[in-house]
Amino acid sequence: MSKILDLDIIGIDSNYSSKIKPADNIILRMDKKYPMAAYYPYLIVSDNIKTLHGKTDLFLIDPFQRKDAIKSKAKRGLGVEISIAFAKKLNATMVGKWLKEVKSIYEFCKSNDCQFILSSGARSINELVSARSFESILKLIGISPKNYWNEVSEWLYTKNKVRWVNAKP
Amino acid sequence: MKFLNGCTQKIRSDGLMLNHREKRRYLAIIYEENYVYRHFQLHEKIVERFKELFGVIHYELAMLKLYDSGFGSILFVGCKLKYLDYFLVSLSLTQPSLTVVSLSGTIKKLRKNVSSLDIRNIKSDVN
Repeated sequence: MSKILDLDIIGIDSNYSSKIKPADNIILRMDKKYPMAAYYPYLIVSDNIKTLHGKTDLFLIDPFQRKDAIKSKAKRGLGVEISIAFAKKLNATMVGKWLKEVKSIYEFCKSNDCQFILSSGARSINELVSARSFESILKLIGISPKNYWNEVSEWLYTKNKVRWVNAKP
Repeated sequence: MKFLNGCTQKIRSDGLMLNHREKRRYLAIIYEENYVYRHFQLHEKIVERFKELFGVIHYELAMLKLYDSGFGSILFVGCKLKYLDYFLVSLSLTQPSLTVVSLSGTIKKLRKNVSSLDIRNIKSDVN
């Protein structure tokens, strides 16, 4: 499916890992390091500011939440993720506000050396978003898709440099 | 000769003639088959979202059109190239969820692309 969507890597929740085989195009998302982490590339993901700690790779943010708390906790290299699935349920006015907030989070990430990440937030395959659709949203917000993909690739490479070398196929 | 708005201009021996046909893009969109919506109702949902987000004028100019895909749980929708980004944003922000699986400049090529995809596998994953 990732090929069809023109995506090189897809992040999958570790709860579904029993259904999949380790592959180059899969990164597991887990709330803490589980034993299966030895076989897969992974990211430690948190969606709660209270559970955000030094080992967290990715923080899933609600664009409408106050950013003061994140400012104090966000460390250099932290990925700040925004899910598109959240915006699907919003009315048009709120989508407009959501886009404005996404832009402000992008700027926050730039000024705090964090990595801005736009994700589908998909819970099933039909909720996935193609690369071209991501690019359209990025363009609408005023972010260069080319720069975005380069930055994300670089960030992922840095995060998993050691882990990928040790990952067993 | 190509213009930014997608128009093309043919150069003839007796001068320039404007070809008014704007470029279009055709998208194959996959949806979950067990949704209560039929394909034309899903198209209405997309149109509704497009109008909400980008307005009636842009919707009219985008010339969104539903085509018969011939594949189950796949919609073919065409729009003007100029408004493709608006259309893709609308699709991404539409509930129920829809996923673009292929994009092409002609319906014929799109059909060919979709045929080459392993639709059965995708469907079994979707359902």
